[in-house]
Amino acid sequence: MKHSIRRLALVFAVSLGLSPAARAADDVVTVGACQPITGRFAFAGVAINAGLQDYLNYANEKGLVPGKKFNYVYEDSGYDTDRAVACFKQIMAKHSPVIMYGESTGLGKAIAPELNSRYKVLYASASFSSELADPKSHPFSFISGPTYSDMFSVLLEYIARNKGATRPKVAFFYSDTEFGKDPIPYARKRAAELGIDVVAEIVTKAGAVDVTSEVLQLKKTNPDYVIFQGYIFSPIIEVIRATKDFGLKTRFMGTFWSMDKGIIDKLGQDADGYMGVMPYAYYYEDGAPGIAAMQAYNKKAHPDVKYQPNSYIQGWFTGMVYVEAVKRVVAAGKPVTGENLAAVLDTIKDWDTGGVTGKVTFVNHKAGVGRVYKANAAKGVFEPASDWIYAK
Amino acid sequence: MLIGNYKETYASDEALFRTPATRAWMGVAAAAAVLFPFVAGDYLLYLANLVAVLALGALGLNILIGFTGQISLGHAAFMGVGAYGTAVLASRFGLPFWISIPAGGALATGAGMVVGAPSLRIKGLYLAIATLSAQVIFEWVFTNWTSVTGGIRGLNVAPASIAGFRLDTDERMYFLILSVTVVHFLLASNLRRSRWGRAFVAVRDRDVAAEIVGVNLFRTKILAFMVSSYYAGIAGGLWVYFTKVVTPENFQLSLSIQFLAIVIVGGLGSIKGTVYGTIFMTLVPEMLKAGTGVARAFWPDAQSYLFPLRDVVFGLLIVVFLIFEPHGLAEIWNRIKRFFSLWPFKK
Repeated sequence: MKHSIRRLALVFAVSLGLSPAARAADDVVTVGACQPITGRFAFAGVAINAGLQDYLNYANEKGLVPGKKFNYVYEDSGYDTDRAVACFKQIMAKHSPVIMYGESTGLGKAIAPELNSRYKVLYASASFSSELADPKSHPFSFISGPTYSDMFSVLLEYIARNKGATRPKVAFFYSDTEFGKDPIPYARKRAAELGIDVVAEIVTKAGAVDVTSEVLQLKKTNPDYVIFQGYIFSPIIEVIRATKDFGLKTRFMGTFWSMDKGIIDKLGQDADGYMGVMPYAYYYEDGAPGIAAMQAYNKKAHPDVKYQPNSYIQGWFTGMVYVEAVKRVVAAGKPVTGENLAAVLDTIKDWDTGGVTGKVTFVNHKAGVGRVYKANAAKGVFEPASDWIYAK
Repeated sequence: MLIGNYKETYASDEALFRTPATRAWMGVAAAAAVLFPFVAGDYLLYLANLVAVLALGALGLNILIGFTGQISLGHAAFMGVGAYGTAVLASRFGLPFWISIPAGGALATGAGMVVGAPSLRIKGLYLAIATLSAQVIFEWVFTNWTSVTGGIRGLNVAPASIAGFRLDTDERMYFLILSVTVVHFLLASNLRRSRWGRAFVAVRDRDVAAEIVGVNLFRTKILAFMVSSYYAGIAGGLWVYFTKVVTPENFQLSLSIQFLAIVIVGGLGSIKGTVYGTIFMTLVPEMLKAGTGVARAFWPDAQSYLFPLRDVVFGLLIVVFLIFEPHGLAEIWNRIKRFFSLWPFKK
């Protein structure tokens, strides 16, 4: 008798202890993240983290998914694949989220076998690598924007649309890294399709600063456009300055990471004419309700913030996709699991993001849309040079 | 100094673990290691695997630097050679892990032999630069020999399997990694007591004197490089099956520096110091991470300061350890042991 009372008490105590968690599982959607808050990717990681966190808070405030609250858990992973995998496993074990965010292409590849077989959570990352945009080998991953190949496609499309009487000449200028080389094979093919001549391919170390011989090569081949890939600032700034000294008329283009306002600040007057592709609108743009909502949220949550970098918007947009996926799963009356969330990605078609991006259609788990922006050095901002262009 | 520990047979004189207390503790450690995966969660298990693989690689470097006194900044490259060798054999030729890992080790041994050749003529900082160039060259090969290494995207490897049993979870890999690592640690302990091990130490302490007493300098140095890269290669092979993907980014100079730090923090020339050093270098950042997690609960806005502060604290810890104990963690451990072996009868 005594024993059974004790056992009953034990069962009661255990159920008391467990019941909040069990109940929580129904109305809380946990989003985990391993963010590169320190290390060499910290310049973006801090902002991505802030953007993602802010959007999930915003969704909670506005009640964007009725009956669901988002709980955001993040850790620093230092842009180191080993630490990031450890972080991923730690968050999975401790919080069992249904959605994860990861810091790099490296983590995406390292975690893929277990993500596919064990964890089965919806996964996005700071990476735009086309390797992760493959529903066959990465069924739970998506790219929150266009891949680097898509970005090249948008730029080449823009060049083809704005060509003069002769065939445009383009040079690819990229770093000797995964980040630099990822889109190049596709870009060569796409340039040929669009009738663009690739007159030079220049490969350097990431962040190289001595670019004399590279600039001479540009002088020799005299391309109409140079597209940079795989750099943040250096050596883009050095190359632009040096070619100006040589009096070349070449125009320079960049992809996402070299399209933040910071590059205009660094280039000063030399920024005029620099252009590139952005998957998202800029923080200071008017006329887009999605951006206005972001500004309003920031005014309230971070009153002293005047500008948010493009990686903040990347994080914010990733949050939008997460929330949209949860919303669609809930609307279909299904449980919020990684499998259901990943399945719902393909149903996102012509989705209006309120001008944060162009209309989004997920094909192969990526949103292949971007816009060409041109620097205005006097104002220190990027201004749209085209409408939203869809990658082929 | 221990009293009453007489050696009455040759066997007891040759024993690796010399006192009953040591043997008992090793037994406890072995039991704990075997039981560990059944009580630890995913996260700890992953860290344990990481520590075991890195410790194996670091032991290779310790044989080279700590035993033989030859510096190398290219250790990560040798690990990479082993890893790529293993990955290519496993993914292209479908060889099982018990062939591909030793083959990767053999390949790394060959690479070590070539890179070690200049060590006869050059010493110290000059040798450091020579091995640094090996690091750069191998990194370049990993990135650009696309037809074999898969270039920047690297190679994906299927989980190891033996007789239909797939080692596809961290738990199963743990036993493979643990057993390979333990065997190689025992081998290294015995190597140190062998003719070659003593020759290594003689070369380290004074190479001219070693040559005068009959040690063949060239052969000894080359052998040290070969053994060292063999260990790195085996660690690389285990790494491949552990992470199931290999890319050039895994084997950069920063990893070589990390190995160097492990060996110095752990204790040059100390086998158990290698283990302590690896544990320190891997787990302390994670512990500091847990610490910042606690602090975050009280001070939520401070994360932007706390995360970078962790690296500063970690760096300071290393410096403090080196100032107070230049012989590394192994020596600190020895001091603690000596204290307790007499406690409480010592003043």
